[in-house]
Parts: sequence; C-alpha cells; structure tokens
Amino acid sequence: MLGSLLTVLTAAAERSRAAGRTASERIQRFETEQVTLHVLAATVVFLIVLPVLIAALVSTKRAGIVTSISDLAPGGHALSNYRHALIGLEFWRFMLNSFVMSVTVVVGKLIVSLLAALVIVYYRFPYKNAVFLFILFTLLLPVPVRFVPLYRLTTELGMGNTVFAITVPYLASATTVFILRQHFLSIPASLVETAKVDGVGPLRFLWSVLIPMSRAVLVGVSVIMFVYTWNQYLWPLVIVNAEDLQVAQVGLSLLRGQASTGEVAWSMVMTGSILTLLPPLALLVLFRRQLLETFTIQQK
Amino acid sequence: MSTREVFTDRLQAGVLLLPTMLVSLLFLYYPTVRAVGLSFYRASLARGDVFVGLENYRRLAGSSEYLRSVLISVLFATCVVVGVMAVALCVSFLIHEVEVGKGLYLVAVIWPYALPPAVAGLVFLFIAHPNIGIFTGYIEALGVDVNWFSNGPQAFVVVLIAAVWKQVGYNVIFMTAALGNVPESLTETAELDGVSRTQRLLRVYVPIISPTLVFLVIMNTIYGFFGTFAMVDLMTKGGPAGATNILIYDLYRTAFQFYEFGFASAKSVVLFVAVGLLMYGQFRLSDRYAYYGG
Repeated sequence: MLGSLLTVLTAAAERSRAAGRTASERIQRFETEQVTLHVLAATVVFLIVLPVLIAALVSTKRAGIVTSISDLAPGGHALSNYRHALIGLEFWRFMLNSFVMSVTVVVGKLIVSLLAALVIVYYRFPYKNAVFLFILFTLLLPVPVRFVPLYRLTTELGMGNTVFAITVPYLASATTVFILRQHFLSIPASLVETAKVDGVGPLRFLWSVLIPMSRAVLVGVSVIMFVYTWNQYLWPLVIVNAEDLQVAQVGLSLLRGQASTGEVAWSMVMTGSILTLLPPLALLVLFRRQLLETFTIQQK
Repeated sequence: MSTREVFTDRLQAGVLLLPTMLVSLLFLYYPTVRAVGLSFYRASLARGDVFVGLENYRRLAGSSEYLRSVLISVLFATCVVVGVMAVALCVSFLIHEVEVGKGLYLVAVIWPYALPPAVAGLVFLFIAHPNIGIFTGYIEALGVDVNWFSNGPQAFVVVLIAAVWKQVGYNVIFMTAALGNVPESLTETAELDGVSRTQRLLRVYVPIISPTLVFLVIMNTIYGFFGTFAMVDLMTKGGPAGATNILIYDLYRTAFQFYEFGFASAKSVVLFVAVGLLMYGQFRLSDRYAYYGG
C-alpha cells in the first residue's frame, strides 16, 4: 500500500522535473507551431479572397481580358467602368429592383413572423404544437420544389411581372418564426406576467417590451433574410420577364450573355458582379456581431 | 408556477397568426399539393390540361437521360457536402488554434456567406474560362488541356469548386462557434496526454461538435441540390452533354424551355420525395452517431 503510493509520488516528481527541464523547449516549439498556423491560415484566407480580388481588379480595367497574373495590375478605369455599368447599362435599375424586393421581404417577414412568434410563445390555445409544426414543415418546401405550380398560381392571380410576385411568396418564414421563438423563450416569463397584471395588451407588450429586448436578434434576422432574398435567382428569372423589373442577380445573367457575344467587355461583367456583391457584404461586415449571435440561436 | 402563456383570447391568436398561415397555405402548401396533382396531367402553356394518370412517372422511369441527371445530382451533392465540410473543418480548426488575430481571419473567411451564387458562378466562369481564364495558361502549361466548355468531367469539377468555395464561409461560421464552445479542460487534458493536433481534432473535437456537423450536412445537402442553380445556369447551362445537368436545372428546362408543366411537376415531386427521404435518413443517422453533450 505504502510502496505503491511511493511509486506514484516518485513518478509524479520525475514528471514535473522533466516538465521543468523542457519548459523553454516547449515554449520554443509552441512558437514555431503558432507561426506555421498563421502561415497556413493566411494562405487559406488568401485563396478564398483571391477570386473576388481578381474580379475587383478586372473591374478597373478597360477590356478585361486577363490571361496571366502579370495582367492583373489595376487599371485606371474603375470610375468610368462603374459609372458605365450603373448608368450606361442601367444596372442601377436592377440594383434598385433588388433593393425594393429585399427590403419589402425583410420588413414583411419581420412583421408577419413577429406576430406568429408572439402567438406561439405567449398565447394558450388548442393545437398549438400542430400550428408550430405546420409552420416548421414549410422548411421542406423550398422554391425549387414548387416553382412550377407557383408560377401558374401567380400568373393566374394576375401577379406575374409585378413586385408582388417576387415578394409575397417569401413573406412566411419558418426560420424567422423559429429564431424569434427561441429568443422569446429566453426572456424571463415574469416579464409578461407583470405586463399582463398591469393590463398591457399583447400588441403593446410586443411593441414596447419584446421588440426593444430583441434588437440584436432582429438585426441579425434581418441581415440573414436580406442576404437570402438579395441572392435569389431562380424565382425572379422565372416570374419576371419585363427587363425593367428584373433584379441584379438576373441582370448579371444578361450581362454574361452580352459578354459572350462581345457586346460588352468582360470587365463590365466583373464590375456588375462586384456591384451585386457589395450590399450583402456591407451588411455582413457592419452587423457581423448580431449576425453571429442570431446564428447561435438558429442552431439550438 | 411561472408561465409565458398569459394570453388566452383565441380570436386574437387566430388573427395574429393569420398572415403566416395564409401565406404558407397559398404560396407554400397549395403549390406543393398542386405539383402532385399536376404531375398526373399533360399540361403546357397553350393547350388545356389532359389527365394522363401515371404516364409522366412512367416516362421518367424509362428515361435514361433523367436517370443520368439523378446520378449526377447525387454525385454533385455528395461532393459538395464532403468538400465543403472537409475544407471548412480545416479552416475552422486553423482559426481556432491560432492565438492572436482570430477575429481578422474569421471576417476574411466568412464573407462568401454573403456572396450571391450568381456572382460566384460568373467569377469562376471568368477566371477558369478555357480561352481567357487567368489561370488557364498556367494549368495548360502543366499538361492539362483546359476545355470545360466541351469536356464533361472538367465542367463538373469547375462548377463543384465554385459551389464549394461559395459555401465554405457559411460552414465556418457554425464550426468556429461550435469549436469555441468546447470546454477548455478537454483541450488541456488532451494536450497533457500528448495527443497530437490532428488527433485532437478528429478524436476530441469532431465527436463533440457532431450536432453542428449534422445540421451542416443537412444545410449543405439542400444547398447542393438547390442552391447551385445559378452557378449551373451561368457557367454550363447543364452541359456539356448533360454533364452538369443537375435535377433542379433539368426541372427548370422542362418547365420553362419546353413548357411541359405536367412532366416538370412529376420531376418536382420526385425531387421533393428524394430530398425529404435524404433529410429523414440523415436525421436518423445523426441520432445514432451524434454526441449531444452531457
């Protein structure tokens, strides 16, 4: 008994001595490892950024045919390219349409989903779980699965080629309801009880308590929904055939066609690509903290 | 007992739920149900709908072209999921292990999340263009004849790289968050036991963050099947010779180039069932293998 204890103690002492001897060695090794990690991380970051970096550089050149790395020196035509894309090729119209579509969808989704989440968390009524499931199940019904009948329905309703067609089908959002519900559940229940005792109605409670307490999540959800809507391609392509109503994503496809036939330079296509990328990118950079917070909720 | 459910007016509840329910019914459920119904008809733009029973499905089953599209989609989605997750896991682990500058690397890596698929497709079309691509000359110097406008496998790979590139940022967001939640003590124990870095990633971290990984497998599968439409449309139009003709693109062409709405509906029903089954299977598998803390 005592013997075995002694063995353990000696072994421990030896180990700590060994640790002391190699401490500086270990720090050394640790530092080289960190340098290696940084080199690797920087390389990966560079590779991921590279394609858009090339696009950005090409958007400053006149012709936009670059066939080797040495052609990548920035050109002096940035201003004229962007002006030509926006005004000459009327890309501003596509951008504006995308903006109207995205902002309408974000605002509409927020209102519709806030009301639904309010009911699901703060109301007692029969078949509540069924209602929640009914909303969640729509996650399984993305646009690509139903766009053929949806196309027929929207044209039958006389909504083809209107701003309604590219916004209304997006208004119900299982994701938004789900994220808001998760967030509401983390707000102390005593708050709503107090409000109820004070005679505050549900809409008032939503407006002056819930919304102010959900600011970060609402911003995060808005960014997620904006990026999602802004990046839509298939549905606008199908439902809108009036060119002046078309969105930026499909506008890019028109530019691509013109570049293939030589009507516009490839640098114009890259200019359009950078223009189309900027709004969602700006939102991501500005609101990354709220966005990450919201993603954490979504995962729960 | 504390409860959140303090409001009981059913009429109020109904009115507040109405917008969500109405939009869901009209624009989500009804079109899906109608797709099922329409799949039994021969329907086009000009002529009226004619009931044909299972003919559309019979046509699908007998079409080798469609079967090829199914195989290509499954292969493509599988490659997307595996590629995205492998790359994202490495990148996230690098960022996790770096001591300083994590935030900077994170911002530099997650921005493709905001990248529109159409932009991803166009940028890759441009930099990998067989004639004017910036790297084409260098790759051809290595002895590869870059010709993906006519070479099927090459086209598949180029679209795949664009698809993976666009989706890595999204995965890194979730993976770095999950890695950040792994208890410090576990890392220390592993280090004291002399577990190497890679072993620590594969044996300690991956099992612990497996719920996140399962979530990402599902999101990436949906992305692989649906989210890459813009890239295919802009880069290859499903070609050459159907090599990148994934199901969603095939469906789009059937409906809006050939205007065979009934046949297209049958295709969307198959797609819906396939993706539903796939997700169900993943859920079941994940239940068995995922480690849910505790």
